[in-house]
Amino acid sequence: MRANFIFSEVWIGLRRNLTMTIAVIVTVAIGMALLGVGLMINSQISGMKDHWSDKVEVSVFLCKKNDAFPQCKGSGGVNAQEQAALKTQIESMPQVERVEFEDAAKAYANFRAQNAGNTVMLSAIQVGDMPESFRVKLKDPDTYGAVIDSLKGAAGVSNVVNQKAILENFFGLLESLRWAALVIAVILVFAAALLIGNTVRLSAYNRRRETGIMRLVGASNLYIQLPFVMEGVIAGLLGGVVAALLLIISKVFLFDKVQAYLANTPLTWETVATVITLTMVIGVVICVLASFITLRRYLRV
Amino acid sequence: MIHFDNVTKVYANQNRPALDHVSVDVDKGEFVFLVGPSGSGKSTFLRLVLKEERPNSGAIHVAGKDLARLSNFKIPHLRRRIGCVFQDFRLLPNKNVYENVAFALEVIGKPRRFIRKVVPEVVELVGLEGKAHRMPDELSGGEQQRVAMARAFVNRPMILLADEPTGNIDPATSIGIMKVLDRINRTGTTVVMATHDAAIVDSMRKRVVELEDGKIVRDQSRGVYGQAY
Repeated sequence: MRANFIFSEVWIGLRRNLTMTIAVIVTVAIGMALLGVGLMINSQISGMKDHWSDKVEVSVFLCKKNDAFPQCKGSGGVNAQEQAALKTQIESMPQVERVEFEDAAKAYANFRAQNAGNTVMLSAIQVGDMPESFRVKLKDPDTYGAVIDSLKGAAGVSNVVNQKAILENFFGLLESLRWAALVIAVILVFAAALLIGNTVRLSAYNRRRETGIMRLVGASNLYIQLPFVMEGVIAGLLGGVVAALLLIISKVFLFDKVQAYLANTPLTWETVATVITLTMVIGVVICVLASFITLRRYLRV
Repeated sequence: MIHFDNVTKVYANQNRPALDHVSVDVDKGEFVFLVGPSGSGKSTFLRLVLKEERPNSGAIHVAGKDLARLSNFKIPHLRRRIGCVFQDFRLLPNKNVYENVAFALEVIGKPRRFIRKVVPEVVELVGLEGKAHRMPDELSGGEQQRVAMARAFVNRPMILLADEPTGNIDPATSIGIMKVLDRINRTGTTVVMATHDAAIVDSMRKRVVELEDGKIVRDQSRGVYGQAY
């Protein structure tokens, strides 16, 4: 097998179909970049889920004097007896990892820390306005349903808030973004496969003289087909390189920026490298398959 | 070398067979003319030898191989033992004489040193010494056919198939082409030549196999083309 013979044939083939080759490269690049973005969102979601699942709690707010919640109407706020009963009830639940009591003073301190710049708010709200609460940490954040149901109607409880539910809206948004990216990627990959098929068909037609003679003098099928397949591979690889650049740019200018606001779990370069390798391999494999399938139809051997 | 046993070939969208129960034997080193009018099955015969087509019935042996048992994977190896020359030369227009001949060896993976040694010898054998760097469009029809013959012969095939090699060439030049074919035949290569050219067949006095409507109507050693045409 003579490598430089094959490469000169490949070069001729790519140059003859320059516009088709560019179309292939662009389609592969965008398709692979979207696939990569989908995979990166995926790993971002799991990274963020890990990050947040350590922190999400179920907050069980207790009635205070003159509380507006309907459950608290008529009672003069939670009494010590109810509070103790709640604590035992929560601690006895199998899903609960630990429970902390946050009194009004601590809640007020947290509130002040969170709204340090907002003087109007700070001056309007007093320690007495802050509800006391139990902060319940679950062993598995997904098992909140039963906990919330049994605590919601309990005596002395004003409201139960699950932070997980709030986060889930956000994860839902990310997940639909991921699916959108993956679906568009699949469509583009399909388009790329058709384009490659067409390129190979054109090049098989352009080189029918050469391939006819090769067949006649007994060149092996591999030798005849390899230049065509290599054309696909090279177009796929170039598309993959462009996709890699797009992915690196999207990491630096998109993922890292968004990350700074949401969670302290930046996408590692290691993940980006894995995603790039994966998309390149997928790109090249698709190109090879598309070339082979077209060759079987248009290059009689 | 070539053995046809009761071979019938019917093309898919035709009801008349292209070859109809043909049995023929060509021995090693023979020179055979295949004659007959257009559509009599000459080209089909050659295509069957190359396994470009498969017979509907009957057995074909080429160079000791039963073609029916030859896997697709092995067909290239069969074709390396068979050289082919056509009426339309089939040269690559963007390669010169040397490159056209060398192409046949390059694509079967021969080492470059071997190619450099063998190609000039064959170019000389077909009488094109000094023209190795000409492009095909700078050559006459006869010279182009010589290039095609050099390419067919450069891998020293056991069989050379020629499908009307003088069809596009004037009679005077055809004599030169036949001399080259004869020279190739003298090296021990079996030559099968399909032709319409009565003058050439008559002058060569070789074995003549005549086909008509896919049947062999005459098989004569040291024959002539026949009066009918």
